[in-house]
Amino acid sequence: MAEITNNIKILRAGKGMTQEDLAEKAKVTRQTIIAIEKGKYVPSLELAFKICKVFDKKIEEIFKTI
Amino acid sequence: MSYKNFKVARMLMAMFIAMTVSIAVSIENVLLAVSAIGIGMISMVLIKRSVKEVLVDEMVKTIAGKSALMAYTITVPVLAFLSLILMFSNLSNRGSEMYNLGIILSYVALFNMAAYSLAYYYYQKKYGRDNE
Repeated sequence: MAEITNNIKILRAGKGMTQEDLAEKAKVTRQTIIAIEKGKYVPSLELAFKICKVFDKKIEEIFKTI
Repeated sequence: MSYKNFKVARMLMAMFIAMTVSIAVSIENVLLAVSAIGIGMISMVLIKRSVKEVLVDEMVKTIAGKSALMAYTITVPVLAFLSLILMFSNLSNRGSEMYNLGIILSYVALFNMAAYSLAYYYYQKKYGRDNE
């Protein structure tokens, strides 16, 4: 299975957001954001789109397969 | 209520239920035990409602699902194996407590399997996966 990486941490830092802010906007727990940023958890398509909406980016700009 | 306060409240409630049920068992008062559990459940629902933060999300559900599957995979064979041992080691003494315990455990294992199968069938239907 292809590994999925993301640049949420960079985008979040660029916007000056905390993990808690992003979690609140995406309606998930902070633990989920931590796990996604570390690449330990791959979000569902629904959550991936929510995150994209927060950063106003396309899904392929945030998530990439290796 | 913040998540931290919720965790403290949950722990205090668990302590309250454990203590009250222990006292109820020691003084043989079923009503006290049932009321403690009832009060605990209602309080937990009310406490959960007052928390504004997200408590359950998709990762929590994924972890819960995987844990449940692992618990099922371990529990059912252990129960089935234990019930077989208890029944076959007491075949000459069929009315004994150990033999009956073996029968009860085998039914518990069967009940678990039936519950799992029903839940699996339900979710398979819900998500529209056809039987191949």
